[in-house]
Amino acid sequence: MKRTILTLVSLALILVFAGSLLAAEKGNSRKGKYTFRKGCRDCHVEGGKAQEMSPANKTQAQWDTVFAKDKYKEFPCKAEWDKLTPEDISDIYAYMYEHAFDSPSPAKCK
Amino acid sequence: MTSPIDTPLSRRSFLKWSGAASAAAAVGGKAPVLYALTPDETKKSSAKPDTRYSVCGMCLNACGLVAKVENGVITKLDPNQKFLKSRGMLCARGNAGIQQLYDPDRLKYPMLRKGERGEGRWERISWDQALDHAAAKLMEIAERYTRCGVMFTPGSDSQSLFVHWFAEVFGSYNVTTHESSCLLSRNRAYLDTFGEVPFADILHTKYIIIVGANPFEALITPDSIDLMTAKKNGCKIVVLDPRFTKTAGLAHEWYPIRPGTDMAFFLALSHVITTEKLYNETYALEKLSGIEQLTDHVLQYTPEWAEKECEIPAADIRRIAREIAAAAPTAIVYPGRRTSDYINSTQMRRSMAIVNALLGNWDTPGGLLAARQVGLSGPELPEAPFYDDNPENRLDKGMASMMFEEEGAFKHMRDAIISQKPYPVKGWFIYRYNPLQSAANRQKTIEMMKQLDFIVTVDIAMSDTAWMSDLILPAPSVLERQDPASGLQGSAACACVVARDPVVPALFESKPIFEILKGLAGRMKLGEYFDFTLEEYRKQQFKLLPDAECAIQEDGVYYNPSKLYGIYEGKIYKTLSKKIEIYNERYAQMGVDPLPVYQPPASNPVNQFRLVVGRNAYFTHCTTQNNALLNQLMPDNSLWMHPTAAKKLNLKDGDRVEVSSKVGKGELSISLNNGIREDTVYMASGFGVLSKGLTRIYGKGACIAELIEDYADAISGNMAMHETFIQVARKGTV
Repeated sequence: MKRTILTLVSLALILVFAGSLLAAEKGNSRKGKYTFRKGCRDCHVEGGKAQEMSPANKTQAQWDTVFAKDKYKEFPCKAEWDKLTPEDISDIYAYMYEHAFDSPSPAKCK
Repeated sequence: MTSPIDTPLSRRSFLKWSGAASAAAAVGGKAPVLYALTPDETKKSSAKPDTRYSVCGMCLNACGLVAKVENGVITKLDPNQKFLKSRGMLCARGNAGIQQLYDPDRLKYPMLRKGERGEGRWERISWDQALDHAAAKLMEIAERYTRCGVMFTPGSDSQSLFVHWFAEVFGSYNVTTHESSCLLSRNRAYLDTFGEVPFADILHTKYIIIVGANPFEALITPDSIDLMTAKKNGCKIVVLDPRFTKTAGLAHEWYPIRPGTDMAFFLALSHVITTEKLYNETYALEKLSGIEQLTDHVLQYTPEWAEKECEIPAADIRRIAREIAAAAPTAIVYPGRRTSDYINSTQMRRSMAIVNALLGNWDTPGGLLAARQVGLSGPELPEAPFYDDNPENRLDKGMASMMFEEEGAFKHMRDAIISQKPYPVKGWFIYRYNPLQSAANRQKTIEMMKQLDFIVTVDIAMSDTAWMSDLILPAPSVLERQDPASGLQGSAACACVVARDPVVPALFESKPIFEILKGLAGRMKLGEYFDFTLEEYRKQQFKLLPDAECAIQEDGVYYNPSKLYGIYEGKIYKTLSKKIEIYNERYAQMGVDPLPVYQPPASNPVNQFRLVVGRNAYFTHCTTQNNALLNQLMPDNSLWMHPTAAKKLNLKDGDRVEVSSKVGKGELSISLNNGIREDTVYMASGFGVLSKGLTRIYGKGACIAELIEDYADAISGNMAMHETFIQVARKGTV
């Protein structure tokens, strides 16, 4: 009996967790902005080691491709991406998508 | 001594007294202001006057000026002849910047409220006490209600960016700006059509339709000046306005359109242009998305149909459509500025943007211009912290379908604060923003303030909002400030950079908002985010403009010779279709009408008038009515009413009347005027103040914010300030 309850609880937790991951496909955009700026802007800035990067560098469809097809795993900075949690990545996705070049609120240069 | 402000004002005396205003008796504070306020005669032994460049701050145009300084006192402001954006002009309001500087009504030192809010009992405190108190109160709210428990309203001047930055590092995204009572619906409409908010190349245009804008009075540089030049060069001007404004007066044609029906006129223009194929088909094929849907959609909107709605004869609509199409692409429907008028103001502006798209005027001479490169760099600041306990979204999230995240919507924010849903906001930090005068439904703003535990206002003068605050911090005028560099685009005139340095030291105990925020940040363990000086900040801004600082020193302005026309050649548009979107694909996805669908405005209830508001040349929103010089030009506001309407109410010119709406009332004189529709009344903003600290206007006129009901545009959240009907009755008969 105890084991059954444990299994059910585990199953419920897995479902909740999976559900939250699914819901967080595009996560918290504000957190994404923070994570992106903190983790990526050392290199992706004007005059930095890598191309200056902002959500407005791509259209929403292009960001969909980057994140839905895990294109970021092919980036030269893959090692940096590997350090991020799935939540971090979905947050960054939300930030990039919501402020893309053709979004209702394109990111402005700061 | 007779004060110059008590005598009638001529141009000569206006200029003569520009530097030496008012009686000294009412002034407290330090010696420089007392000296500045003494008559010129006592200063005749002065050394050779010094001249210094600065940039006007009396409105948002930021026109270049040259200040004449004698013995440490600014005695005159002249236009900077090298300043192309203003075409070398400084208006009367700009000249009156001296009166803002040397105004005895200025806030002079930090003050803490002692009595009830609005009672006017204050205690003078030191800056240390003030900043300690503000920091403690804001942190107390942050700890109890999260960082988002404080709302920030950053104003619109060149230091407002630091308030945005402070809000970000403090951790609140409940930031709402002046823009939601101004031009958001226009921005939304053009962004959702062209992917960008344009400038109008008025100087080179040959045909312009101006609707809901009044650039000959509500001055905007260079548009106001360029419109006059364009007219001399043969540009035809057509104005639609319920009022006979100064712009209407100088136009070739004026139509007193029925308020709220502008969309009918523009849909009918689209009807004529598409059914008669008056647009450039090659251009349309290449650049426009959705012309087929538009052609079908506007079949129903004939000029004959539109005439019944907007009361402009069908024959004129048809003729104007053909004329403007013939002038295209050197033709413009003027996008205007303040578009906070109707509950469908974004769709109304979309109907205008669509006509511009049909004219093929984007990115071409005499048409609509894209933003040019100015070249300022964004300084590198530390990454703002993230606060995990914060709610996920802004308080007003989702209250309008496509609100601008960075601007918010004051009307919606206020409703959410009153209801305390989805979460409570208990603090308010205000920099040079005065919704008690500028935001519809003043009583509701007061109701919102009752929900708040702490309100701090930073301003130059005792605005109504300062008057109702808990702590007031005095700010200097722009002539006393060092500012970060600002990039400006003057339509086709220029893309330029300006940066102010103090012309005279800050008076009294006033402190720039940058210093105030730095002081607060230090007290909140956020000092690392403000660990820079303005000089350092500016240096970083100029990183890629090595010649700019030198040019600004020599000429007061730096020009970037960037590309003006053809910026979009070979580029895609920032829309889902990558073209100019007549048919908006995102709207379709969201269930919003992808093409503007006409909804008639509400009809006037019996014996009521639609109230419209608008600017004149003397006043910037509600900030300059108490200025010693400008106040002489218009010491009071009155209600414009058509003589026929007045006759029905048995009213004559100058009668005192009581005006009332569903949300408030006021009292003022009527001014009979043939230049307004019989069903419409108009009054200027900025009067009927609550603040006894505005000594020249306290007790004068009625307040628009008191009367206007709080509607908002469904898409942008822009306040809708022309949706109110008011009753008018002789005083004492209500």
